Amino acid sequence: MAQAAFVLWLAVTLAFVAMELAPGDPAQALLAASGATAEEIAVRRVQLGLDDPLLVQYVRYVGDLARGDLGVSWLHGRAVSRVIGESLFPTAVLAVAATAVGVGWGLTLGLLAALRRSTWLDTLVTAIAVLSFSTPTYWSGILAILLFSLRLGWLPSSGEGSWRHLVLPALVLGFALSGSIARLVQTRVSEVMNEPFVVAARARGLPARQVILFHILRAALGPALTVVALQFGFLLGGAVITESVFARRGLGKLVVEAITWRDLPVVRGIVVFSALVYVLVHWVSDVVQAWLDPRLREELV
Amino acid sequence: MNRILAWCVLLSVVLIGCAGPSSEERGVYGLTLAPSGIDPHVNASSELGIPLTSVYDTLVYLDPETGEFVPGLAERWDISSDGLVHTFYLRRGVTFHDGTPFNAEAVRFNLARITSPDLASQKARFMLGPYERVHVVDEYTVQIYLSEPFAPFLDTLSQVYLGMASPAAVEQWGDEYQLHQVGSGPFVFAEYVPGDHILLRRNPDYAWGPTVYRHETAQLEEIEFRFFTDPATRSPALETGEVDVMGEIPPQDAARLKSNPDFRIEPVPIPGASLMIFMNTERPPLDDVRVRQALLYATDRQAIVSTVFRESSPVAHGPLAAVTLGYEPAVEEFYPFDVERAMALLAEVGWSDTDGDGVRDREGQPLALDLYLMGWGHMPEVGQWLISQWAELGIAVNSQVVSYPEALEVAAQGKHHLIPFNLSGSDPDILRQFFHSQAEFNWSKIADLEMDTWLETAARTLERADRVELYSRVQLRVMDGALVIPIRDYVNLNGVSNRVQGLGFDAQGWFPWLIDVTLSE
Repeated sequence: MAQAAFVLWLAVTLAFVAMELAPGDPAQALLAASGATAEEIAVRRVQLGLDDPLLVQYVRYVGDLARGDLGVSWLHGRAVSRVIGESLFPTAVLAVAATAVGVGWGLTLGLLAALRRSTWLDTLVTAIAVLSFSTPTYWSGILAILLFSLRLGWLPSSGEGSWRHLVLPALVLGFALSGSIARLVQTRVSEVMNEPFVVAARARGLPARQVILFHILRAALGPALTVVALQFGFLLGGAVITESVFARRGLGKLVVEAITWRDLPVVRGIVVFSALVYVLVHWVSDVVQAWLDPRLREELV
Repeated sequence: MNRILAWCVLLSVVLIGCAGPSSEERGVYGLTLAPSGIDPHVNASSELGIPLTSVYDTLVYLDPETGEFVPGLAERWDISSDGLVHTFYLRRGVTFHDGTPFNAEAVRFNLARITSPDLASQKARFMLGPYERVHVVDEYTVQIYLSEPFAPFLDTLSQVYLGMASPAAVEQWGDEYQLHQVGSGPFVFAEYVPGDHILLRRNPDYAWGPTVYRHETAQLEEIEFRFFTDPATRSPALETGEVDVMGEIPPQDAARLKSNPDFRIEPVPIPGASLMIFMNTERPPLDDVRVRQALLYATDRQAIVSTVFRESSPVAHGPLAAVTLGYEPAVEEFYPFDVERAMALLAEVGWSDTDGDGVRDREGQPLALDLYLMGWGHMPEVGQWLISQWAELGIAVNSQVVSYPEALEVAAQGKHHLIPFNLSGSDPDILRQFFHSQAEFNWSKIADLEMDTWLETAARTLERADRVELYSRVQLRVMDGALVIPIRDYVNLNGVSNRVQGLGFDAQGWFPWLIDVTLSE
């Protein structure tokens, strides 16, 4: 608990420092193009508390948070909690769907490659894996739109509203994730295959399928889970490029916009949220790992 | 009998409700960015005006054909001889979508809201200029007092940012009003899911439209607005039939769409300040007018417009787009593309390539300029062109792309040699934001007291001919002094499905008059 609070404090403080170091004045950015005079911009700066000494601003920034007040967005003019809340659901849906695709596809590929080591299949899987994490999603996204929406007319190119809208972004993002998962599963499975407990299982005459499913995979999954958890936490922070290509709303777009406009309350809100997600995801993945791999249980307890 | 009738009515309502509008009655409009907020009194995005111009009525309207103001919620108005008091005689029988009557008190309420510091308006407040107070004379007469005459005032009142909102709805929803907006316009604000869509529904009771609207009520039952931030996705969304109209199609896609018989491109020229590169007159070597002139002669603007904008935009010749009130055509005589002249000017100032490295130098210093660019509006591409065109003359350019707040800071501190900007607006007073010595966008760092006086006087002069004369002087002075390199006039390339008819735009060029739009199958 204390550790989580420390992580949180560190994250918001770093965000404050980064925003402070970034050039540009929020009041000026908001008002300059609207024909506001220098005096009117100065008035707004005072109103936003930007004229106070840095320490005062920092204490207010952390203090509001400690009281559970995320404040009002300077850009949106609405409560930060609401602004974030609106972006959260679509982001979470995409994160879950993309992770499912990434895990399913990555696991299949990795397992295939490991079981058919040093064959053409192994080479092919490695090539696909490299392709997947080296292909930028803005490119694969546009390509998917051109093929599945424009050419074949199967799926909508953009927006939200139904499961059909989710397919393309989840596939594109899931594919990008699958590469690292496949590689990891491939290496781990290859390692585990020669471990004594696998040899023992085989010696006991268990069917190959059972050995793979209950012994090899279970042992290999632990480390893969850590990677998946990290990536999932990362996705919950928003997949900005995928969101943009498929015209979806989400935290990624929100945070980029907030940083661009120096909207400090929104940045703070998202940082707090992301830090909480990370802490939570790690805890969950530790617990699940322990359940999967008995060797880790003692460490955790 | 009555009960049977009631059941029939209920049943038909349910049936109609289930059926929903047919595809001929429902349009989808693609917006180019999901605005961070869409309360026109609070937020500044121009995108918000695309849907909301049809939700709100304004006191007056600017007729884009004639350039004259015509009655809206105000039947007529007069302006006191000193220009300080505008008296508006309001239309009777107007009701907001929630049934609240529109009257002088509603006007007072709206102006009080916009000018309240608590609202923290990002645009509307500043458009009101020297606004002082509002006075309710009687139920249908209202007076607005200014502290000095302000020529763009009617232009301000004609824009959606000054649209009249239902006081009852504003009171009811408070901070969340922008999700529940209520105006008196031809469409009702039915639904808004931030970042996802906005839904407008026809207002069947609309009967007080301005003469610039061709129909009495809206022709479509529903219009949905969706957001397409990534330019590459706009044309596909149109081509798959997901949207019927899409704003800001990238020029290369527009060229392709034109050849498709199912779609057309409706280019709308946007009045205001052209895309221009500001030259910092305080920072050497650009403090010498001859060097600035050399850059103007060295720039082949036609080549830039032809390749970056695919001929879809006119070349700009001065600080104002050609469709703006008060545009001075004489600026077109300035600075034709002339490499010889550019080189002669540079040589005259003493810049020549003495060490043979391809870059001119003087007293051991290379001729290198700092160019700051923002990532939008094709500025990076334009920057690339400038760099390659000038390289042939031995001018080196260090360019970098910065965010908008950073650009404002860089330019305020005068760290730049060159930095581009453009801004839309129907009133030529926009020049005051760029060329007045105290202006926020005085990125040329010019302090010309005579020009300051012209700009201030023009903003206070109600006689149009006199204003135009003053703005003509400003434009000529800007080009005489080589303060900017104009690049192009902004043109919004709207991609339109051929099933759409009657799409017209207001004088700003951005905001469609959706009441007149019809769809065919």
